[in-house]
Amino acid sequence: MSRVVLWLTLLFWVAPVCAVHAASESAVCFKCHKKADFSAKIVHRPVAQGKCESCHNPHVARYKGLLQKPDGQLCESCHKKREWLGNGAGGRVIHEPVRQGQCLKCHDPHKSEVKGLVHGKLADRCFACHKDLPKKFEGSTHSPYAKGRCIVCHLPHVADNYQMLRTSPDKLCLKCHQRKALNKAHKGYPVEIKDCLSCHNPHGSKRKYLIRNFLHEPFKKNNCKVCHSGGQPGTEVCLKCHKDISKKVLTLHNHFTSSTGNSCIICHSPHAGDTSGLLKGRQAQICRSCHEDTFKRDQDKIYRHPKVSHCGECHNVHGSNRLAMFRSEGSAVCERCHETQGKFTHPLGDKVRDPRTGQKMTCISCHKPMGTDYKYELLLSGEKDLCIQCHRNY
Amino acid sequence: MYPMPSQLLIIKQGAREVIRPVVSTRVFLGALLAIFFMAVPVWAVPWHHVLTLRGEPSGLAMNMPTALFVDKERSRYYVVDAANNRLLSFDRDGKFLSSFNAMGRLSIPFDMVREKGGIIWLVEKGKNSLTRIDLKARKVVPNILSFNGRTVYPDRLKMHGGVFYILNKANGDILCLDADLKVKRVFSCNGCRLGFVDFKIVGNDLFALAQAEQSVYRFSLGDDSPAKVIHLQKKMEFPCSLAVDSLGNFFILDRHADHVVVFDPVGRFKYSFLQPGEAQGRLHFPWEISFDPWGRLCIVEEGNGRVEIFNR
Repeated sequence: MSRVVLWLTLLFWVAPVCAVHAASESAVCFKCHKKADFSAKIVHRPVAQGKCESCHNPHVARYKGLLQKPDGQLCESCHKKREWLGNGAGGRVIHEPVRQGQCLKCHDPHKSEVKGLVHGKLADRCFACHKDLPKKFEGSTHSPYAKGRCIVCHLPHVADNYQMLRTSPDKLCLKCHQRKALNKAHKGYPVEIKDCLSCHNPHGSKRKYLIRNFLHEPFKKNNCKVCHSGGQPGTEVCLKCHKDISKKVLTLHNHFTSSTGNSCIICHSPHAGDTSGLLKGRQAQICRSCHEDTFKRDQDKIYRHPKVSHCGECHNVHGSNRLAMFRSEGSAVCERCHETQGKFTHPLGDKVRDPRTGQKMTCISCHKPMGTDYKYELLLSGEKDLCIQCHRNY
Repeated sequence: MYPMPSQLLIIKQGAREVIRPVVSTRVFLGALLAIFFMAVPVWAVPWHHVLTLRGEPSGLAMNMPTALFVDKERSRYYVVDAANNRLLSFDRDGKFLSSFNAMGRLSIPFDMVREKGGIIWLVEKGKNSLTRIDLKARKVVPNILSFNGRTVYPDRLKMHGGVFYILNKANGDILCLDADLKVKRVFSCNGCRLGFVDFKIVGNDLFALAQAEQSVYRFSLGDDSPAKVIHLQKKMEFPCSLAVDSLGNFFILDRHADHVVVFDPVGRFKYSFLQPGEAQGRLHFPWEISFDPWGRLCIVEEGNGRVEIFNR
């Protein structure tokens, strides 16, 4: 009993002291920083409590804004990663700013008029990075998209689904679009209505009903039998018309593999697409859906190849007789951009052999273009370590 | 149980009068070492590089080798040198024996088996065929396979009990074909995204690797019972090939991580070994892993153009 009394007494004296300290702390800050700039409908709890020092150092700091830690780490000190990232991020899709700890790309750390301390309107935050997306489409725009309610379909931090969708695409569509209405709209469709994104762009399109801009020729002509002449169409059905691609089946490394027997539809939509190639999304997104390891392995390297527009710039995405499905032989793939190095560089080619392996020297004997921790994407330090691998006498 | 070194010392100290004149320090240390190695089971001894199969002795380095076939009776290794359109043979000690290109008629060979009579069966990616090569008659006969009205795209090839087992790359199924190349049985990876990427036959079981699911499917060749699925309990980057040792452990080759990951027969992670690189014993774009009949672990390296053989 006496112990309880002792604690209560202590609390009685200490609590006001703490409150006074916090208030005095913020009072000092607000001598220069306008208090009005920190007031809104939603105020970050440390700000409301006047605990500026929980994030900022009033005298000196390594980080911009006199922050105690880099912004991501600072947020994480209260908002524990495991609480919103789940138990381990293995196999989950993490939004790039979240992965890089750039919380302030979307959130205002002090105050906001929007729940979740979102910096301005949520859609504005999304469009700030996703610049290739138009705010409105010429033909039809999906209602939630038009209203800037990206969050209806997408999760902002981490998701278990491709493109950070809340659930699988079909499930998501059916949350708003009733099955009966869908059946009515697709009257005469010979099979069960599914895989909505195969024909519809969930954001918008030049066409009515969000149908993607480019149509597969037989689909456009309503000539379903060209492909659907019995059973599930296999890869061969596609290759009957796309003869230039059929040669790629006969290469050492190719992408002609799928348990469904049609590898084409892993990347291409058989009906409609946003590009003439009827790809199911941006090429890098499609590649990543299978080659997540490649993207993850290289994304945090210190030196990375400057961003290329798509994987197909260096790799032949259908098939190739070269290592890693490169588009062309040896260094030729690099020389298309790095012209000078193609003419004047360390000797390369058939006559110069790597003493370690007997393989001909190419750019990738020394560089790993996807990224390394050494300057110029070298495999080892270019100061010495890399050279003495072969030039031992030096 | 072997005595610990400290116990040995006590024994020796206790018997000092008797032992000292007979056993020198060097002999004693040697005995200690011998006892240490006897006490460590074989599976705990680290793997070490024993030899490399290279193409240079033939006058041309290998270019993207893809497969290794071992003829136990003849004690020979055969390497499929895909980009050079040829097959190379080596003896058990790694000495180069000969090079064969069927007079320039091979087109991107990928995998092979050799029958007792000297007939070579070869998967040729460039022709999409299972090619029969009769060395004596100097005949090369390509066979385009089909099953259920669809063309088969042969990938990995094995022969067991006089029948062929072929991985059909088009759908990732493994087909069992009789001598007339008629499909007798299909081993499917039900529910898998991409199907199987490699398989091995050990005893009366067929082990197949499902890459996307990171699982091994174990089929019995003796009956049609459903496959037993073994989930490999460590995430790998790009598993591309598997080998199964005499204890039933799985050796999975991770092509993008350039190392080997070992799991016990129920899929529990045991250890991983080897590293990326070009130096001897390191890996660059490895493509196939297998045990030879003498218990040595062979890894075909596409990137470094060689076959590395390890033992312990």
